[in-house]
Amino acid sequence: MGGNRYIYFAGYVVLQYIVLATAWNVLGGYTGYVNFGTAAFFATGAYSALVLILAFNATLPFQILAGALAAGLLGLGIGYLTLRLRGVFFSIATLALSVVLQTVVSNWEYVGGGKGLSIIRPKPPALFPSHAEYLFVVMVLLAAASVALAWWIEHSWVGRGLAAIRDNEEAAECMGVPTLRLKLFATTLSGCLMGVAGTPFPYYVTLVEPGSVFSLDYAVNSLAMPMIGGTTTWVGPIIGAVLLGTAQQVATVTISSELNLLIVGIVLVAFVMLAPQGIVGLVQRLFRRRGA
Amino acid sequence: MALGAAWAPAAQAADPIKIGFGMALTGALAGNGKAALMSMQMWAEDVNKKGGLLGRPVELVYYDDQTKPAAVPGIYTKLLDVDKVNFVVSGYGTNVIAPLMPIAVERNLLLMGLFGMANNEKTKYKNYFQIMPSGPEPALGWSQGFFEVAAKQQPKPQTIALVGADAEYPHNALAGAREHVKHYGFKVVYDGKYPPSTVDYTPIVRAIKATNPDLVYVASYPPDTAGIIQAVHEVGLPVKMFGGGMVGLQFAALQTKLGPKLNGVMNYEFYVPEPTLSFPGINEFLARYQAQAEKAGVDPLGHYIPPFAYAYVQVLGQAVEATKSVDQKKVADYIRANEFNTIVGKVRFAPNGEWAKSRVLMVQFQNVKGSDVAQFKKAGTRVVLYPEESKSGTLIYPFSKVLK
Repeated sequence: MGGNRYIYFAGYVVLQYIVLATAWNVLGGYTGYVNFGTAAFFATGAYSALVLILAFNATLPFQILAGALAAGLLGLGIGYLTLRLRGVFFSIATLALSVVLQTVVSNWEYVGGGKGLSIIRPKPPALFPSHAEYLFVVMVLLAAASVALAWWIEHSWVGRGLAAIRDNEEAAECMGVPTLRLKLFATTLSGCLMGVAGTPFPYYVTLVEPGSVFSLDYAVNSLAMPMIGGTTTWVGPIIGAVLLGTAQQVATVTISSELNLLIVGIVLVAFVMLAPQGIVGLVQRLFRRRGA
Repeated sequence: MALGAAWAPAAQAADPIKIGFGMALTGALAGNGKAALMSMQMWAEDVNKKGGLLGRPVELVYYDDQTKPAAVPGIYTKLLDVDKVNFVVSGYGTNVIAPLMPIAVERNLLLMGLFGMANNEKTKYKNYFQIMPSGPEPALGWSQGFFEVAAKQQPKPQTIALVGADAEYPHNALAGAREHVKHYGFKVVYDGKYPPSTVDYTPIVRAIKATNPDLVYVASYPPDTAGIIQAVHEVGLPVKMFGGGMVGLQFAALQTKLGPKLNGVMNYEFYVPEPTLSFPGINEFLARYQAQAEKAGVDPLGHYIPPFAYAYVQVLGQAVEATKSVDQKKVADYIRANEFNTIVGKVRFAPNGEWAKSRVLMVQFQNVKGSDVAQFKKAGTRVVLYPEESKSGTLIYPFSKVLK
């Protein structure tokens, strides 16, 4: 019956959330634009992969490239369309994007429409005994790449520019920060990474249907994880994703059920009230106090 | 909660035979999922009272799949690799069986399925067996009875209206109905879809009425089922037969809500308490189920999924006993080759894992008075018109007779 593959499947989900939380944080944390449409980008990745599987029987690396491209372009498009929308209006627009896209794919028969489509996955590459290991390793690489990108943004002029937008967009513009280009860059990169997280989904579940792919879980978790971990640094989303993602995986096989989202809600409210800077902010405050 | 165990003291000495599964205990299908779980626990109790399987107690190991396909790979690998279950069976519904198929194929597992629609169409996995009695061609089996009954009427009806929600199940059911329409030579005068979010169904019923069909075949989900029947009574629909593929009328909630408005409506069923369907053990099962149902907050009748949830583990248990083995291949080979006596009757599987012969019933609501749930527990309110061997009454024809 093979070794213990459970750890790979559970690990895959946690890693997937590291990618999503990091991607969300590029726009939400660094730039201050809250995106409720994570599921739309995630689904763009998943459905791009599905189309490539159906049309060309493409391998996973190609699916990832296509998903990244499609979701990145969607991010760029949304960036353009919503440039004038700030604060809650931008958030509402991203939420609407999810609804619109879900309606579109629900009526697109080629990808299974509302009832979804099952696929048969091919044999995993020779190095891997099963898809559990293969998809886990792929997700490790994707998570590492996402975190590396976030780290680069944070430590470059791009990150400083985004932070300037977050703090005061008008002032940043007056100071010569190219706000338009930076915002477009952030929406594109954030969308691209969210799409990438969705590309292995067809091979992971083998059923792609709108209900699962556009699940509220993705939007809620990708927002809650950076908020809990801390939105100002690259490590915050990782901490949030590992803590919450693991808690949810454990809950699924112990106390179970939709308590998963309840856990996220309670922890999120607690953090917003008690530690708005997240775990990273809490630790920094602790060290500062000790230093003083 | 997560782990469920039930065995009698007599069988405690030996290692249990573990049967693992994910079940919808929360989420969209939780109502039916909970009822299915209760039935499976009743089976485990029954088996363990008799000393278990092969002298070993049966233990059910289950997790809540939250009606989410994405939760299935994790749950089943945990069941297999950590909990080391002997067998896995599916949770409730097509969408949670789909992600389970590749796991079963990769590991050569025997897999019993609970109410999956054509899950094995692409995979063609020989060790998959599904308990919903829709037969080897589910889309056709679903509406076979409606069209056979219609074609037998004299003079033969000529025209038909097809209508359904723009969603997964109605699409499949209407596709099957169109095949039958061709086969029996009816003329389609209306073929329409409506958005699942529709609230007022009177315009749809008026549009159908305007085409003056002899027959109306409806494929709907519970909210639209109720809406359409209410609209039919409001607008009046002078047709000869009405109904066919309406989901929701199998449950007490809609039956008691609609009451006498159901009289004359035709619909598919898998089991109804008619004397022609009194299989060994079914009455005892339902009595026990109904006694527990209210407390558990599940459908008080338990005619739709519960007997089949009991039966799919019953098949597994009988095969284990017959082969005296827990070997996946041996047990699967036995299930493929043999017929089983279950509480839902004799079950034999086709090569694609569906029932070898469809036993989707076509019933007509008759004699419904008021909204008392007790009347639906007894014979007489849903008389079976198809298949012939299960027939328990005669068709009220035309439908317009009961509308007056």
